[in-house]
Amino acid sequence: MTHHPKERRPGYLSRRDFLLRSAGTAAALSSAGGLLAACGNTTSVAEATGTSGEPVGPGGLPLARPDKRVTLPLWEDPIESGLEPETGGTFTVYNYPAYFYKKLLKEFGAKYDVEVQYTPFDNINSGLQRLASGAVQPDVMEITPDTLDIGVAGKLVKPLNLDYIPNLQANIWPQLVDPFYDGGSHYTVPYTCYATGIAWRTDKITEDIPGMAQPWDIFWQSQAYKGKVALLSENRETIGMALLRKGITDINTEDPAQVNQAVSDLKELYGVCNIKVDDIQYQSVPEGSSWLHQAWSGDMIAGYIYYLPKGTPASALGYWKPEHGKVPVQNDCFAICSTTKKPVLSHLFLNYLLDNGVAYENFVDFNGYQPPLNEIDPETLLKKGVVPENLANSVLTDADLGPDSLQYGTLTSKGQQLWEDGYSNFLAGGS
Amino acid sequence: MYRRWLWPGFASPGIVWLVLLFVVPFYAVLGVALGTVDPILFQPVPIWNPLEWNVGWLAEVFHRLAPGGIWFDVWIRTVVYVAASLALCLLIGYPVAYYTARHAGRWKGLILILIILPLWISYMMRMLAWVNLLQADGYVNRFLMFTHVLSEPRDWLGGNSSTVIFALVYGYIPYLILPLFASLDRIDRSHLEAARDLGASPWSAFRQVTLPLSKTGILGGAVLITLPMFGDYYTPNIVSSSPKTSMIGNQIDLYFHGGPQPTIGAALTIVLAAFLTLLMLYYLRSIHRAQRDVGAVGAL
Repeated sequence: MTHHPKERRPGYLSRRDFLLRSAGTAAALSSAGGLLAACGNTTSVAEATGTSGEPVGPGGLPLARPDKRVTLPLWEDPIESGLEPETGGTFTVYNYPAYFYKKLLKEFGAKYDVEVQYTPFDNINSGLQRLASGAVQPDVMEITPDTLDIGVAGKLVKPLNLDYIPNLQANIWPQLVDPFYDGGSHYTVPYTCYATGIAWRTDKITEDIPGMAQPWDIFWQSQAYKGKVALLSENRETIGMALLRKGITDINTEDPAQVNQAVSDLKELYGVCNIKVDDIQYQSVPEGSSWLHQAWSGDMIAGYIYYLPKGTPASALGYWKPEHGKVPVQNDCFAICSTTKKPVLSHLFLNYLLDNGVAYENFVDFNGYQPPLNEIDPETLLKKGVVPENLANSVLTDADLGPDSLQYGTLTSKGQQLWEDGYSNFLAGGS
Repeated sequence: MYRRWLWPGFASPGIVWLVLLFVVPFYAVLGVALGTVDPILFQPVPIWNPLEWNVGWLAEVFHRLAPGGIWFDVWIRTVVYVAASLALCLLIGYPVAYYTARHAGRWKGLILILIILPLWISYMMRMLAWVNLLQADGYVNRFLMFTHVLSEPRDWLGGNSSTVIFALVYGYIPYLILPLFASLDRIDRSHLEAARDLGASPWSAFRQVTLPLSKTGILGGAVLITLPMFGDYYTPNIVSSSPKTSMIGNQIDLYFHGGPQPTIGAALTIVLAAFLTLLMLYYLRSIHRAQRDVGAVGAL
């Protein structure tokens, strides 16, 4: 059950209630102790279970998992088939900074006589909040499976008419034509895919990381590389990695004991290697300012293409990802925003980004993150020299997905609080 | 009637400015900190009526900041970093401001321009420039090894407190020097001459005349740099990015970054603002006293 924003949430305590409860301790009101004593639990965001008791996401929608397909309800009908695309004016793409090749955007704009504008956001959650507040009015946006239910429940993204997007069926991996998080592709098309693993400098790190019994342990054995070791600055990835290290493959757990233990384990890294957290591994590892970094598979391809200094051989880069069923595999998506004034053109844009030529060019000539195209396979990329042999395991295939794969999914509101607070604890650097 | 409102009317632009750009935003943060969260979008839902304020988030923040709480260490670390940076800024900035005000002569203008010059470049760009300079093979290590201060390159960017403090000092010191200079430049030289005529040594004249008369400049500059330093999060991010050198501003940034608890970020902002208000009150009280003392000296 969810609540309207204006409704009072369970556990909510008004100042009036607070004053009444605190009457006996009026003298202590000015102190933090008095506040703490009187307030109790007043910080829940929303209910975490639906009417039948099953866990639900923030929007009250069921939680999708690779082995639990969810078909999202349509909050409005998709546009009709056979409409002509809108032309003229601007067409706004809302995405992470520098995550789409501008040349391709220009070409799309020229084809349909629109000026394509690129509006960046810091992350998808804050991007969705800006969209909901009306601060931006984009036509299409990037979204992830774990944030999709916010987009749908908040009516921020529109249902798709797949008649306009034939490239989805024609070019994309079968697993993502009808993905578990959006059965029937009601709202999204896939954009890129990537796994989470470890990137390192082979000329600096002496350990055989892939040969270790538990390669994630390398972070806890990196005393010799102090100051050169970093994790991704994402709460799901850091805590998830600590869970996987302990053999816990439920990377969407909401068990406080498991999450808190993972945070405690992460805090050991302060003393081991003065661990850092950042998201510049695609640059820092190739350039050598970081020697060991938790990284997405696309980072090493992008790093090899753009950031490896002249004279440094490709063999200086190493990448490992866990075996199937133990590796977090993600995919980014695109959706049409409910603010669009060009719904037909937005559909055509989604079809455009799934075009074999466009998606491939965006991948190899710009962002390094692999699109889930049927025609991309590791052998071809190796043959073409797009990816060096030692980074071949950075390339994913349809087989990496499936019901037994791991994917960070939407958590309940309480789960999100738990993970956010755990990451805050880690980031605080305290004992 | 006209005369009665004429002079107070001159204050109206300032009052409007203060209301629009301080009082209203501050009340908005208060409304968010003491409000609730949209359960779907996780957007803050401010509560404007004080009678309905929800103090739960604020209580949670106090709990985390208290000894044993998860933010106690980062809070103490922030206070230590700011105090150390302030002390260093004063140690470096006071002599610079003193020299510029009293001894620079015709070079005064040039020195002031040189102090202000870095401010023409964005803070972020200056910090990123330091990241390059502080690399293992950067110019700082090369220079220190050339001069035999270091025998091997130091890992300045490996997550050190000293680098964060250095970066804070570098980033904020111009804002301390300028009010200090203004304060020192205003001191009537006849006061110093009188002290020397009465037998005070140069050091004694400085300690008993110059230093007390520059107290308003010291406090003004200190307030000017302390307030933003307390909320700084990008400096430790850029030159360290280690949790062991993070500051309380990093926690505010984290909670305002699209998660389910933006109210925590707002509540932490309010607590930080309350703490800084105490510092401001001390500053205002000191200014008031200093002005009274100067007035007393003038009357003599």
